[in-house]
Amino acid sequence: MKKLLAGLAMTTLLAGSAAWADEVQLFHDKGFWSEQLQTVGEASLQETGVKIVETPYANAEQYKAFIQASIASGETPNLFTWWTGEPFNELVSTGQIAPLGDVWKEMVASGNYGESAKELFVVDGEPYAVPLVLARWVVMYDKPLFEELGISEPKTWEEFIAAAETIKAAGKTPFVATVQDGWRGFIWFQELMLRMHPEAYNGLNDGSVAYNSDEVREVFKTWSDMYAKGWFSDPRSTEEVNDFARGNGAMYLIGEWAFGLLTAAGVSADDIGVFIMPNIDGTDPSAVIVEGAPMVVSTAGIKDENTMKALEYFVSVNGANVWGEASGNYIGNDAAKAPNAVVSKVNGDIAASNAGSYLRWWEAVPPDLQGELVAEMNRFMLDPTMETAEDVMAKMQTLNAAYWADQ
Amino acid sequence: MDRAAQDTELLNRIGLDQTLRRERVRRRGQLGLGLLFMAPALVLVTSLLLVPVGYNIWLSFTKWKKFKGFGEYAGWANYEKMASNPFFTDALINTAIWVVASIVFPIALGLIMALFLRNMRGAEAFKNVVFIPRILAPTAVGVLWFYVYAPDGLLNRGLSLFTTGDVEIGWLYQDNTVTPAIIATFVWQTAGLVMVLLLLGLAAIPRDPVEAAHIDGANKWQIFRFITLPLLMPTLLMVTILSVLAGFTVFDLLWVMGANYPGQRSLALAVFMYFEAFQKGSWAFGSAVAVVIGLVVLGVTWIQTLLQSRVDRMVR
Repeated sequence: MKKLLAGLAMTTLLAGSAAWADEVQLFHDKGFWSEQLQTVGEASLQETGVKIVETPYANAEQYKAFIQASIASGETPNLFTWWTGEPFNELVSTGQIAPLGDVWKEMVASGNYGESAKELFVVDGEPYAVPLVLARWVVMYDKPLFEELGISEPKTWEEFIAAAETIKAAGKTPFVATVQDGWRGFIWFQELMLRMHPEAYNGLNDGSVAYNSDEVREVFKTWSDMYAKGWFSDPRSTEEVNDFARGNGAMYLIGEWAFGLLTAAGVSADDIGVFIMPNIDGTDPSAVIVEGAPMVVSTAGIKDENTMKALEYFVSVNGANVWGEASGNYIGNDAAKAPNAVVSKVNGDIAASNAGSYLRWWEAVPPDLQGELVAEMNRFMLDPTMETAEDVMAKMQTLNAAYWADQ
Repeated sequence: MDRAAQDTELLNRIGLDQTLRRERVRRRGQLGLGLLFMAPALVLVTSLLLVPVGYNIWLSFTKWKKFKGFGEYAGWANYEKMASNPFFTDALINTAIWVVASIVFPIALGLIMALFLRNMRGAEAFKNVVFIPRILAPTAVGVLWFYVYAPDGLLNRGLSLFTTGDVEIGWLYQDNTVTPAIIATFVWQTAGLVMVLLLLGLAAIPRDPVEAAHIDGANKWQIFRFITLPLLMPTLLMVTILSVLAGFTVFDLLWVMGANYPGQRSLALAVFMYFEAFQKGSWAFGSAVAVVIGLVVLGVTWIQTLLQSRVDRMVR
């Protein structure tokens, strides 16, 4: 009997360790996509024999703390997600992240990805990540309302403003924008900055343009005027997505990933239209703000066969299809099916206008300033007068100047 | 034979030296036994409290930030940086407001309710209702009151009944209302416990001095001022310590209710520390803020301990 039990225990142990050997953990802070990542994990197991086991963290702060402590103690996870821009540069500078030049060579050679797709993940000429998400920041709009009011998709700034005026005249609110969760204050700021002063947009993030400069003041003036005309929804709402779904705003400036949230909130996919916000000066080159969520591999992970199998599956056509279908996310794989009509339309618009990419302000700004500056922008949204704007600009510049003086 | 030698010989003869030696051995044995019994607590306190506190103090003198600077000595740089940080100053002021508010309001309200209810018939149901908030998790309380204070929440709807238009005050979005609103929630949650503790204190007051004062012609206020209050003082002091510590360590309410307030990092030192350490990854600076919080708490509890010993002497 004892021998039988021992045999059973040994068999179970071996079976268990065999299963573990074919699993790769993917650490991330995107709990809202847990289920979708599990779908990809199962699909990966079917196709490659390696299961991707997603390990979510409840919030970004806890997650950052975990990764920072792991790296400090030399226990960097094999596969995990991070942020682009300055946070990405900091991560790569630890020397714990593996360059993925060879992986990208294959991705580009296969014709599935363009060279430009890797730009967000390049540090000192070498790519260090593959995309978990590539989202363009666009204006989604209420198609039936636009049709009802006879508004066509705006192609110029004048048409965009005229659309807002028509919507307001019809007793509706043109735009949904809130300070929900404390991070959204930058959305309209970055977009207006890019549309009004594209040359100053990047300057803000390298310290060469001040937050109380004339360019920024002009942005706040335009923004404040739009508020004064009653064009924005209540910034204190805690249900931004539902605000759009309930018709509390006709246009929603947000990343493409919000498409899935909107359909989940009950908006029919056919009722969502999308366009890239036009520049104020029609002669400026077309541009779009891009957000990229990178997936990185540690220097230990690149030597692990299963980790690399999991990574390669994720960026493959099949992987991108499963992920796109489950979550509605696009990862830049042009051979995969567009995950939804919004992505498909934006792909077409970018190709037609040859729009250049600008990194989202959130990632482009130095991480030390990120939270404090966005809190100031939220403060403006809650009291959108020029008096508050002046105070906000002065405080932002004090923080900005102190940061750059310290570098 | 000199005097010292004579003394030694005398001690040897009567065996006192051996007795003293035996006593010393016995005491050493007792100390060992005592340490053995204390070992679990000593291990726990050392590993879970003293070592982390010491480690935190050491970290506050380093340059550790995100991925680098771990173990690099920074001297007093983090403390100097703190002094010039505008958010730190605001957080310090707000923390002081919290300390004062957590002493005054829960105790005043708890005392009034305890005095009102102590001899009242059918007060049990009311006491239970008042105590219920205490058993709820602070996060749940925060979420609940977040919606009460929402622009279209219960409070504004209630106020709208008394005005001609709709009241849409953003209680948790404005500088002048956010801290009072969260303190009110804290008082709502804490007053029940304070009331119960003070009721126990009131029940323990002997009847004789009260009756004697009554016979001597003292009115209700005089009885309260000169008999009840002094005898209730030890309980009041204990309740004050509990309340101040609760006020100092409040984080959950500020985190949940202040989530959309632009100045959230300035709501209290604990929140400021969280933002610095966990959002910015300034671990060393966050540790320095934690050291300051520890020192402030130590200072306040030291004052309270002094008061406690004075009250103890007064009561004795």
